[in-house]
Amino acid sequence: MISKNVIKKIAHWILLSLIIIFIAIQFIRPDRSNISGQTLQTDISKTFNIPDSEFSILKNACYDCHSNNTNYPWYSNIQPVGWLLAQDIKNGKAQINFSEFGSLSRRRQISKLRGIENQIKDGTMPLPAYRLLHKQAQLTTEQKKLLINWFRETRDSISLNK
Amino acid sequence: MKNIFALIVLALIFTVSVAAQDSSDHKHMDMKNTHHDMKSMDKTQQEITRNIDPKTAASIKEIVGYYLQLKDALVNDKSKDAAAAGKEIIDAFEKLDKNFLSPEQKELYVEVEEDAKEMAEHIGDNAGNIEHQREHFDMLSADIYDLVKEFGGGQTLYKIYCSMYNDKKGAIWLSESKTIKNPYYGKKMLTCGTVEEEIK
Ligand SMILES: [Cu+2]
Repeated sequence: MISKNVIKKIAHWILLSLIIIFIAIQFIRPDRSNISGQTLQTDISKTFNIPDSEFSILKNACYDCHSNNTNYPWYSNIQPVGWLLAQDIKNGKAQINFSEFGSLSRRRQISKLRGIENQIKDGTMPLPAYRLLHKQAQLTTEQKKLLINWFRETRDSISLNK
Repeated sequence: MKNIFALIVLALIFTVSVAAQDSSDHKHMDMKNTHHDMKSMDKTQQEITRNIDPKTAASIKEIVGYYLQLKDALVNDKSKDAAAAGKEIIDAFEKLDKNFLSPEQKELYVEVEEDAKEMAEHIGDNAGNIEHQREHFDMLSADIYDLVKEFGGGQTLYKIYCSMYNDKKGAIWLSESKTIKNPYYGKKMLTCGTVEEEIK
C-alpha cells in the first residue's frame, strides 16, 4: 500500500517540474518579425475596390496571419501562445498572403477568392482553434455575410473579363 | 493551485501539438523521383496540328487519366479514392518535363499547373470531406479544360455543364463519355448535366 503521504509527495514533484518547464519555455522566443510596416501595391485593397467596412473586418480578423503585417497581441509574449501564432502566420501566409494578392495570376486570384468565400461560409476560416485564442477573429454572422458577398462579387467581376 | 496546474498542462499539450504540426508540414516535400519509361509513340494527327511534343502529350494524358479517376470517385461518392487520385494528379503534373514546351505553351502550362496542383492538394488532404473536395474539383476542372484545349487530352473528351452547382452559378467537368454521371452530386443527382462540347 502506498501511503497518502507518498502520493502527495509525487504530486508535488510533478507539479513543480511542470512549473519549471513552463518557465523554461518562456525563454524560447519565436520569430516575431512579420511586421513590414508598409502596404504594398499588390495588397488586395489596392488590387480591388474594397469598402472600408469590409476592409476593416478583413484587417482585424485575417491580416495577422495572411499578410506581411501582424499586429502581435500582448499575450503572444506568453509561450506557447507565441509559438502557435508564429506557426499560424507561417501556414497562413503560405496559403494566402493578402499583401501580395495582386501578384497572383488571374486564374489563381479567382480560385483563391472562391476558396476564401467557401471557407468563411463553412466556418473553417478563421480556424476554430485560432478563434478560441484570438477574439478579433470571431466574426459575427453579419460580418461574415459582408465578407462573403464582397469576395463573391470581386470574383465575379474578374471572371467576366477574363 | 488547480488553475495553475490546468494552465500548465494545457501549455504542454499546445507545445506537443505545435511540434507535431511542424513535422507534418514536411510530408508534402518528399516528391517521388520516378522516371517512367515512355513508350515511343506515334504522333497522332492532333499532336501534329497542335505541335505538341510526344513526351508532353504522354504526360498530359497521364494527368487526364488521374483526373478522370478523380471524377469517377466523386461520381461514386468515394471520398478516399478521390483523395488518392488527387495525390496522383500532383505527381503527374510534376513528372511533365517543361523543357519540351514552347515558350507560349509554357506560359499557359505553368499557370494551370500552379493552380491545379493546389486544388489537387486540397482534394488529397480532405479525404472524408467530399463536399470540400467537390468545391476544389470545380476549379480543377476549369484548369484541366484549359489544359486539354491547348494540349489535347490524348483521347476524346466531353465538356459537361451542370447548371445547379455552386449556388446555381454552374460548373463544368470533363468526361470520357457522353453518358452523364454527375461528380458534383453523386447519387443525389446523378444525371444532372448537359454535354456542351466535344474535345478531340
Ligand atoms: Cu481546401
